[in-house]
Amino acid sequence: MTMDAVYIILTATLFSISCGLLGAFLLLRRMAMVGDAIAHAVLPGIVIAFLISGSRESVWMIPGAASLGVLTTFLIEFFHRRAGLQTDAAIGVTFTALFAVGIILISVFAGQIDLDQDCVLYGEIAYVPLDVWMTASGEVIGPKALFIALGLLVLNVLFVVLGYRQLLVSTFDPAFAAASGISVVLWNYLLMGAVSFTTVAAFNSVGAILVVALLVVPPATAYLLTHSLKRMLGLTVLFAFLSSACGYVLAVALDGSIAGAIVTCAGGLFVLVWVTQLLLRRKPAKELHPLT
Amino acid sequence: MRELVLSVFLLSLLLSCEPAEKRATSGKLYVVATTGMVADLVQAIGGSEVEVDALMGPGVDPHLYKATQGDLSRLQEADLVVYNGLHLEGKMGEVLEKLGQRKSVVAVSEGVSVEKLLQDTLFSGNYDPHIWFDVSLWATAIPVVTAALIREDSTRRDYFMDRATQYAVELEGLHNWVRDTLQVLPADRRVVVTAHDAFNYFGRAYDVEVRGLQGISTLSEFGLRDRVDLVNFLVAKDIKAVFVETSVSTKNIESIIEGCRQKGHAVRIGGNLFSDAMGAAGTPEGTYIGMVQSNVRTLIQSLNAE
Repeated sequence: MTMDAVYIILTATLFSISCGLLGAFLLLRRMAMVGDAIAHAVLPGIVIAFLISGSRESVWMIPGAASLGVLTTFLIEFFHRRAGLQTDAAIGVTFTALFAVGIILISVFAGQIDLDQDCVLYGEIAYVPLDVWMTASGEVIGPKALFIALGLLVLNVLFVVLGYRQLLVSTFDPAFAAASGISVVLWNYLLMGAVSFTTVAAFNSVGAILVVALLVVPPATAYLLTHSLKRMLGLTVLFAFLSSACGYVLAVALDGSIAGAIVTCAGGLFVLVWVTQLLLRRKPAKELHPLT
Repeated sequence: MRELVLSVFLLSLLLSCEPAEKRATSGKLYVVATTGMVADLVQAIGGSEVEVDALMGPGVDPHLYKATQGDLSRLQEADLVVYNGLHLEGKMGEVLEKLGQRKSVVAVSEGVSVEKLLQDTLFSGNYDPHIWFDVSLWATAIPVVTAALIREDSTRRDYFMDRATQYAVELEGLHNWVRDTLQVLPADRRVVVTAHDAFNYFGRAYDVEVRGLQGISTLSEFGLRDRVDLVNFLVAKDIKAVFVETSVSTKNIESIIEGCRQKGHAVRIGGNLFSDAMGAAGTPEGTYIGMVQSNVRTLIQSLNAE
């Protein structure tokens, strides 16, 4: 294994664990596709950041995208709560409208500039080892994306561990949560905020398709095997790692896109687990009791 | 625990994978270029003394290029990395710039003086990256590449210098040929209508009016009024042919043809122009010179018809 391989697998794994931990809660709240929504809805953010700065450097694009990411998740939450829309409808309304605003902004103001998420925001996991942090003496410490992934993972683990009970209760039993003094609204917004920051940072380092898939597929695979939240989180971490590692091996074998291969492996694992369950004729996991 | 067995199996699969194959060291300089045009320029100057790989193959739209695992090892093993710059490579350009801290990385657009670049009217500092369609402008990239090659391999200095001089003469000849050939067309027939704005330098250098349906970004949708304007323009100027590009979808340009037909003006697709990518390797269009010639011939044939 080369150092590059280790860096890529490690970065992908750390990002996928972050995404998976948050994704598990999203899945249980029927908001699994919120990552895809953010991927589209950041467009007006980067256009506005460009219109203000006149620059397409990441320094401007990331804050632009991040603020729209937060706005998107807040709007989804708001429409769901205040307008009484189902979550999928709230997601659909929010991201299509925001994406459309971005398209209009581009065609009106910046039609002559190459400006879209693909060329100014989304990173490429294959290039993670190329962008490194160096000491003043020029010694290579490691890829920047790896440190970003590590920082995000620490924050997300802290968030999930410290807020475990609040997240659990506000996900499954809002009424009980309110009765025991937990602010459901606050914890929903906190979760959504964490999702938008994690996804935008991950988009910038490893690209969109990987992030959108990692938010959904490993938690969904884990959900096939267990309906206990703790076990589900644990299995999500395992599947996140396996997808990243196998995906890298597949990409090397095919000389193909690494992100594509990782997502393919994640999908393959899902099917594998599902088929294994069918073959073993195991009954689907019991419905999760609200407070287990 | 089934998942445990599974993970052990998959882990062993992972660990059994061989380290990436090392390239045979031929003693030649190994250069990695982003687009085919850049690779062709490096090859023209480096000749048999360099080995050049292009990351984006024939027909690949740079906007849609996806890196593979092999691209990473190519970049890591390269002695020299050459790219177009001016944001043609999008975010990858930023990555390459940072790679420049650790290895030789050059943007060919560095050689072009800023006054000669087409700047966006609203946002200064943002330039049109399609510099290769003005042959005289593209020739100013020769010294940049030559200097970079010499810096990496000074023992072959004379060889590189000779080839660079020779190639500069060839490009000068090409530039004159393009200019003279297009003069065959009457001025009001020298109009190129394509799907996206790749030919602005070409238009400026050879006195050709260029109209693109779409902006530079492949995401910028054309407005309804843009479409109506373009249709009216084609009808008013009695232009008979519009062009498609090898790396961009033909769908939008077909809607223009349909619009003209409804107004009783027959327009057809005049042919394929190479814009952001060259033709297949081994064909005449697989080189920069062949690609430019092919575009000019296509234009002459279609616009001069009847």
